[in-house]
Amino acid sequence: MIVVVVVLGFFFALTAEAIPCGPFYALLHPDFVALLLLYWAISSASELSFTVVWLIGLLQDMVLGDVLGAQAIAGVVMIYLLYTGIARVRSLASWEQLFFIFVLLLAHRLLVWLWQVWAGTVTWHFSLLLGPLIGALLWPLFTLTLDYLRHALRLNHT
Amino acid sequence: MPALFFPRRYPPLLRVAVLILLTVFVSVSSEKHPNIGNVSLTIAYPVQWISMQGARLWRQTDHYLQSRAALESENVRLRAELVRAQPKLLEADILRDENRQLLALLDSIPHPPGKVAVAQIIAQNFAPGSQLLVANLGTRAGVFVGQPVLAAGGVAGQVVRVSPESCQVALLSDLDSSIPVKPAGSDTPLLVDGTGNLDSLTVPFQPRNTPLKVGDKLVTSGLGGRYPAGLNVGTISAVIHNGDQPFARIAVRPAVHLGRLGTVLMLWDSPASQPAAAP
Repeated sequence: MIVVVVVLGFFFALTAEAIPCGPFYALLHPDFVALLLLYWAISSASELSFTVVWLIGLLQDMVLGDVLGAQAIAGVVMIYLLYTGIARVRSLASWEQLFFIFVLLLAHRLLVWLWQVWAGTVTWHFSLLLGPLIGALLWPLFTLTLDYLRHALRLNHT
Repeated sequence: MPALFFPRRYPPLLRVAVLILLTVFVSVSSEKHPNIGNVSLTIAYPVQWISMQGARLWRQTDHYLQSRAALESENVRLRAELVRAQPKLLEADILRDENRQLLALLDSIPHPPGKVAVAQIIAQNFAPGSQLLVANLGTRAGVFVGQPVLAAGGVAGQVVRVSPESCQVALLSDLDSSIPVKPAGSDTPLLVDGTGNLDSLTVPFQPRNTPLKVGDKLVTSGLGGRYPAGLNVGTISAVIHNGDQPFARIAVRPAVHLGRLGTVLMLWDSPASQPAAAP
Protein backbone atom coordinates (compact mmCIF):
# COMPACT_ATOMS: atom_id res chain seq x y z
CA MET A 1 0.00 0.00 0.00
CA ILE A 2 2.68 2.48 1.06
CA VAL A 3 4.70 1.67 -2.07
CA VAL A 4 1.68 2.41 -4.29
CA VAL A 5 1.11 5.74 -2.55
CA VAL A 6 4.78 6.72 -2.83
CA VAL A 7 4.96 5.77 -6.51
CA LEU A 8 1.71 7.60 -7.30
CA GLY A 9 2.97 10.66 -5.44
CA PHE A 10 6.14 10.81 -7.49
CA PHE A 11 4.16 10.19 -10.66
CA PHE A 12 1.96 13.22 -9.97
CA ALA A 13 4.98 15.31 -8.96
CA LEU A 14 6.59 14.46 -12.31
CA THR A 15 3.49 15.41 -14.27
CA ALA A 16 3.29 18.69 -12.33
CA GLU A 17 6.87 19.43 -13.37
CA ALA A 18 6.16 19.09 -17.08
CA ILE A 19 2.60 20.40 -17.30
CA PRO A 20 2.52 22.93 -20.17
CA CYS A 21 0.99 25.95 -18.42
CA GLY A 22 3.12 28.71 -19.89
CA PRO A 23 6.26 30.60 -18.89
CA PHE A 24 4.99 32.00 -15.59
CA TYR A 25 4.26 28.58 -14.23
CA ALA A 26 7.69 27.43 -15.42
CA LEU A 27 9.26 30.35 -13.58
CA LEU A 28 7.38 30.07 -10.30
CA HIS A 29 6.62 26.42 -9.69
CA PRO A 30 8.70 24.70 -7.01
CA ASP A 31 10.48 21.44 -7.77
CA PHE A 32 7.73 19.06 -6.62
CA VAL A 33 9.88 15.97 -7.01
CA ALA A 34 12.62 17.43 -4.80
CA LEU A 35 10.03 18.47 -2.20
CA LEU A 36 8.57 14.98 -2.17
CA LEU A 37 12.04 13.43 -1.83
CA LEU A 38 12.73 15.69 1.16
CA TYR A 39 9.38 14.85 2.70
CA TRP A 40 9.90 11.09 2.53
CA ALA A 41 13.52 11.37 3.65
CA ILE A 42 12.54 13.34 6.73
CA SER A 43 9.35 11.55 7.68
CA SER A 44 10.19 7.90 7.03
CA ALA A 45 12.19 6.20 9.74
CA SER A 46 14.30 4.11 7.37
CA GLU A 47 16.92 5.61 5.10
CA LEU A 48 16.06 6.30 1.47
CA SER A 49 18.19 4.40 -1.02
CA PHE A 50 20.43 6.73 -3.01
CA THR A 51 19.97 4.50 -6.03
CA VAL A 52 16.20 4.95 -5.94
CA VAL A 53 16.63 8.73 -5.53
CA TRP A 54 18.99 8.67 -8.51
CA LEU A 55 16.55 6.70 -10.66
CA ILE A 56 13.68 9.08 -9.82
CA GLY A 57 15.91 12.00 -10.83
CA LEU A 58 16.81 10.25 -14.07
CA LEU A 59 13.12 9.76 -14.88
CA GLN A 60 12.57 13.47 -14.19
CA ASP A 61 15.38 14.29 -16.62
CA MET A 62 13.68 12.16 -19.25
CA VAL A 63 10.33 13.86 -18.70
CA LEU A 64 11.86 17.35 -18.86
CA GLY A 65 14.00 16.34 -21.82
CA ASP A 66 17.05 18.29 -20.80
CA VAL A 67 20.55 16.89 -20.30
CA LEU A 68 20.30 13.41 -18.80
CA GLY A 69 21.60 13.15 -15.23
CA ALA A 70 21.16 16.73 -13.98
CA GLN A 71 18.16 16.09 -11.73
CA ALA A 72 19.51 12.65 -10.81
CA ILE A 73 22.77 13.94 -9.37
CA ALA A 74 21.13 16.97 -7.75
CA GLY A 75 18.61 14.72 -5.97
CA VAL A 76 21.30 12.38 -4.65
CA VAL A 77 23.51 15.20 -3.36
CA MET A 78 20.52 16.99 -1.80
CA ILE A 79 19.44 13.87 0.09
CA TYR A 80 23.05 13.23 1.13
CA LEU A 81 23.29 16.77 2.52
CA LEU A 82 19.99 16.27 4.33
CA TYR A 83 21.22 13.05 5.95
CA THR A 84 24.31 14.78 7.35
CA GLY A 85 22.01 16.81 9.59
CA ILE A 86 18.89 14.64 9.64
CA ALA A 87 18.62 14.38 13.44
CA ARG A 88 18.55 18.15 13.85
CA VAL A 89 16.07 18.68 11.02
CA ARG A 90 13.72 15.98 12.37
CA SER A 91 13.68 17.63 15.78
CA LEU A 92 12.30 20.88 14.34
CA ALA A 93 8.69 21.81 13.64
CA SER A 94 7.84 22.07 9.97
CA TRP A 95 7.86 25.87 9.89
CA GLU A 96 11.28 25.81 11.59
CA GLN A 97 12.54 23.40 8.95
CA LEU A 98 11.74 26.01 6.33
CA PHE A 99 15.24 27.52 6.29
CA PHE A 100 16.95 24.13 5.89
CA ILE A 101 14.54 23.22 3.13
CA PHE A 102 15.35 26.47 1.34
CA VAL A 103 19.08 25.79 1.51
CA LEU A 104 18.63 22.21 0.28
CA LEU A 105 16.31 23.20 -2.57
CA LEU A 106 18.75 25.95 -3.51
CA ALA A 107 21.63 23.47 -3.57
CA HIS A 108 19.47 21.20 -5.72
CA ARG A 109 18.59 23.95 -8.17
CA LEU A 110 22.20 25.15 -8.44
CA LEU A 111 23.47 21.62 -9.05
CA VAL A 112 20.93 21.10 -11.83
CA TRP A 113 21.97 24.44 -13.25
CA LEU A 114 25.70 23.60 -13.06
CA TRP A 115 25.12 20.30 -14.80
CA GLN A 116 23.19 22.04 -17.57
CA VAL A 117 25.87 24.73 -17.90
CA TRP A 118 28.40 21.96 -18.29
CA ALA A 119 26.25 20.57 -21.13
CA GLY A 120 25.98 24.12 -22.51
CA THR A 121 22.20 24.43 -22.57
CA VAL A 122 21.41 27.24 -20.11
CA THR A 123 22.37 30.71 -18.93
CA TRP A 124 22.14 32.30 -15.50
CA HIS A 125 19.09 34.25 -14.44
CA PHE A 126 18.00 35.36 -10.98
CA SER A 127 14.58 33.83 -11.51
CA LEU A 128 16.31 30.51 -10.85
CA LEU A 129 16.15 31.38 -7.16
CA LEU A 130 12.36 31.82 -7.17
CA GLY A 131 11.56 28.09 -7.39
CA PRO A 132 13.48 27.12 -4.22
CA LEU A 133 12.09 30.16 -2.37
CA ILE A 134 8.48 29.31 -3.22
CA GLY A 135 9.15 25.63 -2.51
CA ALA A 136 10.44 26.47 0.96
CA LEU A 137 7.52 28.80 1.68
CA LEU A 138 5.10 26.03 0.66
CA TRP A 139 6.87 23.46 2.84
CA PRO A 140 4.68 23.73 5.98
CA LEU A 141 1.52 23.46 3.87
CA PHE A 142 3.05 20.61 1.89
CA THR A 143 4.00 18.56 4.97
CA LEU A 144 0.62 19.24 6.61
CA THR A 145 -1.23 18.02 3.52
CA LEU A 146 0.88 14.90 3.15
CA ASP A 147 0.75 14.12 6.87
CA TYR A 148 -3.02 14.43 6.71
CA LEU A 149 -3.19 12.17 3.64
CA ARG A 150 -1.00 9.59 5.31
CA HIS A 151 -3.15 9.68 8.41
CA ALA A 152 -6.35 9.43 6.37
CA LEU A 153 -5.02 6.45 4.42
CA ARG A 154 -3.79 4.87 7.68
CA LEU A 155 -0.23 4.50 6.45
CA ASN A 156 2.02 3.75 9.38
CA HIS A 157 5.52 5.09 9.70
CA THR A 158 8.01 3.10 7.70
CA MET B 1 12.00 1.43 1.24
CA PRO B 2 14.26 -1.47 0.32
CA ALA B 3 17.91 -0.80 -0.39
CA LEU B 4 18.24 -1.56 -4.07
CA PHE B 5 21.49 -2.36 -5.85
CA PHE B 6 23.80 -1.00 -3.18
CA PRO B 7 24.36 -2.89 0.02
CA ARG B 8 24.13 -0.49 2.95
CA ARG B 9 27.47 -1.61 4.36
CA TYR B 10 29.35 0.90 2.19
CA PRO B 11 29.62 4.42 3.63
CA PRO B 12 27.16 6.95 2.16
CA LEU B 13 29.90 9.15 0.73
CA LEU B 14 31.21 6.23 -1.34
CA ARG B 15 27.72 5.43 -2.62
CA VAL B 16 27.20 9.08 -3.61
CA ALA B 17 30.61 9.19 -5.32
CA VAL B 18 29.80 6.08 -7.37
CA LEU B 19 26.46 7.61 -8.42
CA ILE B 20 28.20 10.85 -9.43
CA LEU B 21 30.56 8.89 -11.68
CA LEU B 22 27.61 6.99 -13.12
CA THR B 23 25.84 10.31 -13.81
CA VAL B 24 28.88 11.69 -15.65
CA PHE B 25 28.91 8.54 -17.75
CA VAL B 26 25.17 8.78 -18.51
CA SER B 27 25.36 12.49 -19.34
CA VAL B 28 28.34 12.16 -21.64
CA SER B 29 26.95 9.15 -23.48
CA SER B 30 23.53 10.81 -23.90
CA GLU B 31 25.24 13.85 -25.45
CA LYS B 32 27.17 11.60 -27.82
CA HIS B 33 24.40 9.28 -28.91
CA PRO B 34 21.18 11.05 -29.98
CA ASN B 35 19.37 7.71 -29.80
CA ILE B 36 19.52 7.77 -26.00
CA GLY B 37 17.56 11.03 -26.11
CA ASN B 38 14.96 9.49 -28.38
CA VAL B 39 14.58 6.45 -26.11
CA SER B 40 14.25 8.64 -23.02
CA LEU B 41 11.52 10.60 -24.79
CA THR B 42 9.67 7.32 -25.33
CA ILE B 43 9.96 6.41 -21.65
CA ALA B 44 8.72 9.86 -20.63
CA TYR B 45 5.65 9.73 -22.90
CA PRO B 46 3.10 8.33 -20.38
CA VAL B 47 3.97 10.98 -17.79
CA GLN B 48 3.80 13.73 -20.41
CA TRP B 49 0.49 12.42 -21.69
CA ILE B 50 -1.02 12.70 -18.21
CA SER B 51 0.44 16.18 -17.80
CA MET B 52 -1.24 17.22 -21.05
CA GLN B 53 -4.59 16.03 -19.66
CA GLY B 54 -3.89 18.20 -16.63
CA ALA B 55 -3.16 21.21 -18.81
CA ARG B 56 -6.31 20.59 -20.81
CA LEU B 57 -8.40 20.47 -17.64
CA TRP B 58 -6.74 23.71 -16.52
CA ARG B 59 -7.56 25.41 -19.81
CA GLN B 60 -11.15 24.18 -19.71
CA THR B 61 -11.71 25.56 -16.21
CA ASP B 62 -10.14 28.79 -17.37
CA HIS B 63 -12.61 28.97 -20.27
CA TYR B 64 -15.50 28.06 -18.00
CA LEU B 65 -14.61 30.86 -15.62
CA GLN B 66 -14.62 33.47 -18.36
CA SER B 67 -17.85 35.38 -18.06
CA ARG B 68 -20.52 35.29 -20.73
CA ALA B 69 -20.16 39.02 -21.31
CA ALA B 70 -16.44 38.69 -22.01
CA LEU B 71 -17.17 35.93 -24.50
CA GLU B 72 -19.87 37.97 -26.22
CA SER B 73 -17.65 41.02 -26.60
CA GLU B 74 -14.86 38.78 -27.89
CA ASN B 75 -17.29 37.29 -30.39
CA VAL B 76 -18.25 40.74 -31.67
CA ARG B 77 -14.61 41.74 -31.96
CA LEU B 78 -13.68 38.53 -33.81
CA ARG B 79 -16.59 38.97 -36.24
CA ALA B 80 -15.46 42.50 -37.03
CA GLU B 81 -11.93 41.22 -37.54
CA LEU B 82 -13.20 38.50 -39.85
CA VAL B 83 -15.08 41.01 -41.97
CA ARG B 84 -11.96 43.14 -42.20
CA ALA B 85 -9.77 40.14 -43.01
CA GLN B 86 -12.01 38.75 -45.77
CA PRO B 87 -10.92 41.16 -48.54
CA LYS B 88 -7.30 40.73 -47.49
CA LEU B 89 -7.63 36.95 -47.79
CA LEU B 90 -9.10 37.32 -51.24
CA GLU B 91 -6.28 39.64 -52.16
CA ALA B 92 -3.76 37.14 -50.81
CA ASP B 93 -5.32 34.38 -52.93
CA ILE B 94 -4.99 36.49 -56.04
CA LEU B 95 -1.45 37.44 -55.18
CA ARG B 96 -0.48 33.84 -54.51
CA ASP B 97 -1.80 32.73 -57.89
CA GLU B 98 -0.02 35.58 -59.57
CA ASN B 99 3.16 34.83 -57.65
CA ARG B 100 3.02 31.18 -58.62
CA GLN B 101 2.69 32.11 -62.27
CA LEU B 102 5.62 34.51 -62.06
CA LEU B 103 7.76 31.95 -60.23
CA ALA B 104 6.85 29.34 -62.83
CA LEU B 105 8.01 31.78 -65.48
CA LEU B 106 11.26 32.29 -63.60
CA ASP B 107 11.51 28.52 -63.16
CA SER B 108 12.55 28.93 -59.55
CA ILE B 109 11.26 27.72 -56.19
CA PRO B 110 8.64 25.42 -57.65
CA HIS B 111 7.43 24.43 -54.18
CA PRO B 112 3.76 23.74 -53.76
CA PRO B 113 2.84 24.22 -50.09
CA GLY B 114 3.90 21.15 -48.08
CA LYS B 115 1.81 18.84 -45.94
CA VAL B 116 1.04 19.90 -42.38
CA ALA B 117 -0.31 18.13 -39.31
CA VAL B 118 -1.62 19.65 -36.08
CA ALA B 119 0.10 18.56 -32.87
CA GLN B 120 -0.76 19.28 -29.23
CA ILE B 121 1.88 20.47 -26.79
CA ILE B 122 2.05 17.90 -23.99
CA ALA B 123 5.01 19.07 -21.91
CA GLN B 124 7.20 22.08 -21.45
CA ASN B 125 10.61 22.80 -20.02
CA PHE B 126 11.43 26.49 -19.79
CA ALA B 127 14.70 27.28 -18.09
CA PRO B 128 16.85 30.35 -18.65
CA GLY B 129 18.48 29.37 -21.95
CA SER B 130 16.68 26.17 -22.74
CA GLN B 131 13.20 26.32 -24.19
CA LEU B 132 11.89 22.90 -25.06
CA LEU B 133 8.38 21.62 -25.71
CA VAL B 134 7.08 18.13 -26.30
CA ALA B 135 4.36 17.62 -28.91
CA ASN B 136 2.19 14.55 -29.34
CA LEU B 137 3.21 13.44 -32.85
CA GLY B 138 6.16 11.14 -33.42
CA THR B 139 7.83 8.85 -35.94
CA ARG B 140 4.57 6.99 -36.35
CA ALA B 141 3.09 10.16 -37.88
CA GLY B 142 6.23 10.65 -39.97
CA VAL B 143 7.86 13.30 -37.78
CA PHE B 144 11.65 13.48 -38.16
CA VAL B 145 14.55 15.26 -36.45
CA GLY B 146 15.09 18.68 -37.97
CA GLN B 147 11.47 19.09 -39.06
CA PRO B 148 10.20 22.70 -39.07
CA VAL B 149 7.46 23.45 -36.54
CA LEU B 150 5.06 26.32 -37.21
CA ALA B 151 2.47 28.08 -35.09
CA ALA B 152 -0.02 30.89 -35.63
CA GLY B 153 2.11 33.72 -37.01
CA GLY B 154 5.15 31.92 -38.35
CA VAL B 155 8.01 29.61 -37.38
CA ALA B 156 8.07 28.28 -33.81
CA GLY B 157 11.13 26.02 -33.91
CA GLN B 158 12.30 22.62 -35.02
CA VAL B 159 12.20 19.00 -33.89
CA VAL B 160 15.30 17.87 -31.98
CA ARG B 161 14.24 14.45 -30.70
CA VAL B 162 11.60 11.95 -31.77
CA SER B 163 9.95 8.92 -30.22
CA PRO B 164 7.17 6.81 -31.80
CA GLU B 165 4.41 8.91 -30.18
CA SER B 166 6.01 12.26 -29.39
CA CYS B 167 8.67 14.71 -30.43
CA GLN B 168 10.72 17.32 -28.64
CA VAL B 169 10.74 20.79 -30.18
CA ALA B 170 13.45 23.38 -29.55
CA LEU B 171 11.87 26.82 -29.85
CA LEU B 172 13.55 29.62 -31.82
CA SER B 173 14.36 31.24 -28.49
CA ASP B 174 16.41 28.25 -27.30
CA LEU B 175 20.04 29.17 -26.78
CA ASP B 176 21.15 26.49 -29.26
CA SER B 177 18.69 27.56 -31.94
CA SER B 178 19.75 29.35 -35.11
CA ILE B 179 17.71 29.91 -38.25
CA PRO B 180 18.72 31.27 -41.68
CA VAL B 181 16.63 34.32 -42.58
CA LYS B 182 16.55 37.33 -44.87
CA PRO B 183 14.78 40.67 -44.58
CA ALA B 184 11.44 40.53 -46.40
CA GLY B 185 11.94 42.06 -49.84
CA SER B 186 15.71 41.64 -49.88
CA ASP B 187 18.14 38.77 -50.35
CA THR B 188 20.76 39.55 -47.69
CA PRO B 189 21.38 36.26 -45.89
CA LEU B 190 21.19 36.59 -42.11
CA LEU B 191 20.90 34.35 -39.09
CA VAL B 192 18.53 34.68 -36.17
CA ASP B 193 19.79 33.11 -32.95
CA GLY B 194 17.94 32.29 -29.76
CA THR B 195 18.92 34.21 -26.64
CA GLY B 196 17.27 32.00 -24.07
CA ASN B 197 14.61 34.68 -23.63
CA LEU B 198 11.12 33.77 -24.86
CA ASP B 199 10.29 37.15 -26.40
CA SER B 200 13.59 38.26 -27.84
CA LEU B 201 15.82 36.75 -30.52
CA THR B 202 18.97 38.26 -31.96
CA VAL B 203 20.80 38.72 -35.26
CA PRO B 204 24.48 38.03 -34.56
CA PHE B 205 27.58 39.57 -36.16
CA GLN B 206 26.06 42.59 -37.86
CA PRO B 207 28.47 45.49 -38.38
CA ARG B 208 27.71 48.78 -36.68
CA ASN B 209 26.67 50.36 -39.97
CA THR B 210 24.14 47.59 -40.60
CA PRO B 211 21.31 48.56 -42.95
CA LEU B 212 18.83 46.71 -40.73
CA LYS B 213 16.42 48.97 -38.89
CA VAL B 214 13.63 48.72 -36.35
CA GLY B 215 10.43 47.37 -37.92
CA ASP B 216 12.12 45.23 -40.60
CA LYS B 217 10.38 41.88 -41.03
CA LEU B 218 12.56 38.81 -41.22
CA VAL B 219 11.47 35.68 -43.13
CA THR B 220 13.18 32.33 -43.62
CA SER B 221 15.62 32.41 -46.53
CA GLY B 222 15.43 28.71 -47.33
CA LEU B 223 19.22 28.43 -47.15
CA GLY B 224 20.39 25.19 -45.61
CA GLY B 225 17.26 23.46 -46.84
CA ARG B 226 15.77 22.90 -43.39
CA TYR B 227 13.07 25.57 -43.43
CA PRO B 228 11.22 26.42 -46.64
CA ALA B 229 11.70 30.02 -47.78
CA GLY B 230 9.31 32.85 -46.92
CA LEU B 231 8.01 31.87 -43.47
CA ASN B 232 7.63 34.63 -40.89
CA VAL B 233 10.30 34.60 -38.19
CA GLY B 234 10.02 37.98 -36.51
CA THR B 235 10.34 41.73 -36.56
CA ILE B 236 13.38 43.75 -35.55
CA SER B 237 12.46 45.54 -32.34
CA ALA B 238 15.75 47.26 -31.49
CA VAL B 239 19.10 48.05 -33.09
CA ILE B 240 21.69 49.18 -30.58
CA HIS B 241 25.02 50.59 -31.71
CA ASN B 242 27.16 50.39 -28.64
CA GLY B 243 30.24 52.64 -28.61
CA ASP B 244 33.11 50.21 -28.27
CA GLN B 245 31.40 46.99 -29.38
CA PRO B 246 32.48 45.70 -32.81
CA PHE B 247 28.97 44.52 -33.67
CA ALA B 248 25.53 46.06 -33.43
CA ARG B 249 23.16 44.42 -30.96
CA ILE B 250 19.92 43.58 -32.75
CA ALA B 251 16.81 42.38 -30.96
CA VAL B 252 14.11 40.51 -32.87
CA ARG B 253 10.57 40.01 -31.60
CA PRO B 254 9.45 36.53 -32.70
CA ALA B 255 6.38 36.38 -34.94
CA VAL B 256 4.97 33.57 -32.79
CA HIS B 257 3.99 34.04 -29.14
CA LEU B 258 6.43 31.33 -28.04
CA GLY B 259 5.37 31.22 -24.41
CA ARG B 260 1.75 30.32 -25.06
CA LEU B 261 1.78 27.54 -27.59
CA GLY B 262 -1.03 25.01 -27.15
CA THR B 263 -1.08 23.59 -30.66
CA VAL B 264 1.59 23.67 -33.33
CA LEU B 265 1.82 22.68 -37.00
CA MET B 266 4.34 20.11 -38.11
CA LEU B 267 5.43 20.93 -41.66
CA TRP B 268 6.54 18.49 -44.31
CA ASP B 269 8.08 20.51 -47.06
CA SER B 270 7.42 19.04 -50.48
CA PRO B 271 10.65 17.67 -51.98
CA ALA B 272 12.40 20.21 -54.18
CA SER B 273 12.84 17.68 -56.97
CA GLN B 274 9.09 17.48 -57.41
CA PRO B 275 8.01 20.16 -59.88
CA ALA B 276 4.98 22.28 -59.07
CA ALA B 277 1.73 21.65 -60.84
CA ALA B 278 1.23 24.32 -63.45
CA PRO B 279 -1.31 26.87 -62.23
